Amino acid sequence: MKMDIKHTAELSRIRLTDDELKEFTPQMESILKSVEVLKEKDTTDILPMKEHIPFDSLRNDIPKSSLTQEEVLKNCKHTENGCAKIYGDIFGSDEG
Amino acid sequence: MNTDEHYDVIIGLEIHIQTKTKTKMFCSCPTGYFQEEPNTHVCPVCLGLPGALPVVNKHALELCILMGLALNCEIDSQVHFDRKHYFYPDLPKGYQISQYKRPICHNGWVKLPSGTIVEIERIHQEEDVAKSTHHIESISGKPYTLIDYNKSGVPLIEIVTKPCITNAKDAKDYATRIRQIARYLDISDADMEKGQMRCEPNISIQEKGKWQLKDGKIVPIGQYKLNPKTEVKNIGSITAVEKAIEYEIQRMHDQIKNGEKITQQTRGWNADKNITEFQRSKESADDYRYMPEPDIPIIDIPKDEVNKIKTMLVELPDEKVQRYTNDWGLSKYSAEVISSSKESAYYFENLQKRLSQIMTEKEAAKEASNWLMGTIYAIANKSGKDWSQLNISLEELSSIILAFKDGIFTKSRAEEIIQQKIDTGCNIEEEIERMRKQKGENTTNIDAIIDTVISQNQKAVEDFKNGKTASIGFLVGQVMKATNGTADPNIVKNTLEKKLK
Repeated sequence: MKMDIKHTAELSRIRLTDDELKEFTPQMESILKSVEVLKEKDTTDILPMKEHIPFDSLRNDIPKSSLTQEEVLKNCKHTENGCAKIYGDIFGSDEG
Repeated sequence: MNTDEHYDVIIGLEIHIQTKTKTKMFCSCPTGYFQEEPNTHVCPVCLGLPGALPVVNKHALELCILMGLALNCEIDSQVHFDRKHYFYPDLPKGYQISQYKRPICHNGWVKLPSGTIVEIERIHQEEDVAKSTHHIESISGKPYTLIDYNKSGVPLIEIVTKPCITNAKDAKDYATRIRQIARYLDISDADMEKGQMRCEPNISIQEKGKWQLKDGKIVPIGQYKLNPKTEVKNIGSITAVEKAIEYEIQRMHDQIKNGEKITQQTRGWNADKNITEFQRSKESADDYRYMPEPDIPIIDIPKDEVNKIKTMLVELPDEKVQRYTNDWGLSKYSAEVISSSKESAYYFENLQKRLSQIMTEKEAAKEASNWLMGTIYAIANKSGKDWSQLNISLEELSSIILAFKDGIFTKSRAEEIIQQKIDTGCNIEEEIERMRKQKGENTTNIDAIIDTVISQNQKAVEDFKNGKTASIGFLVGQVMKATNGTADPNIVKNTLEKKLK
């Protein structure tokens, strides 16, 4: 199975060099190949195996207390006015 | 509006509505974040911390199903959630929990006031993302983004139409109707300025006779190549829905006329300039790598659960218009204005009920409609307020109307009292009692009052006697003034004529 590693990397916001692409493509392909064996089984009309729960058992709409602002921002590298502060277009990509 | 007769306009609308729950979609954090301190309504679940698991809010699903029932949809017997992946700081998990192949509600329709039917493709449940605002750092000049996660995880339903809307006016009417229904059912306040409701139209123009609608999709006929569509975002009001679509249609027509190529793109509405602006091109299809959400089991919805939700339905604006016009003989226009909000419809119906004490139901409805449309809404319009902000209660208004019907004062005097009440907050019951007493006195004294008016207005009396019959009107007016509008003008006129013969 051919895999477009470049496209997948872009979707994942991972920047890969040409060398890295060359290195990873066969690796990813071999992973896919090893799971390809699953395709041999005919799954027509077979429903996904997943747990079912009744509607009634869902959570009632009753609020509970949240974290404090201090706790929420604890792991942030930068903050401003109670908000998480992020440089660049995505996840600190342009933090320099 | 463009009148280019060679092209059809094709519009589909996606509407997102934040539903009115106390807690978020997948955690127990409170939803009321408006104007609250940032990042104070947040927990490990809506912050997307590793290991945190979603727990589905039952009431949110009830509201989604309720909207589906109101829009005549089929309701699925199971709820399946999926992950929609994309990476952006406003989405801390890296995916949004949404629904892909099996939306809870599908195949519905809604009727517009014009009679046009808009077909609903689907309504699905998802979660809102965090709020991000973009800035430039003053010292370094670096761009940065501030993120408040309070909005992250608030229940959101997405209502998608089939591409069946053919003009901007219908799109606006459709958005208005959806907002009305959401408010009638208390599913949401659906305030677009607060972001509780968001409209994103998809627009394309296609050559007439060269395309068809097949299974809810636009497909070309023969060798025709479909024109790409644009999606418009950042629409902040219902009127902007219409304006943005009209602008886009015109822009596409112009492009074709100028021999330019229409490209698939996302554009943003600029409300200050009244134009759409290019945001990004969509050369490749969105690739969200949807997959079934493994952390949420399949939820079974039994039929009787749906029936229970059905009892939350109320009479909707379309049905109210039907009843007001058929049973009570109101004009379609009045019925639509009155039923445009739940509050005004209830006010009208309660007023009608009170007036029914002294007249037939139909007369009471007409009377109530006339006072609302002719007096109350007019006063509200003049003062630039919503009628519900006017300082006059249902009891007060009905007392005034009943006193008028009882012949205590004229209609114009009644309107003066209403205006006076709204302006100064006077006591209506006292005012009516005073007028009633004066009326009693006037009836016994009317002869004396008329005599006084005759003796004080000799010029008009002479004119009348010399054949200028119109001057009787002036004399009647003087008597009405002297009686504070409580006398019956017809009786006054007759008595005056007798006396002046």
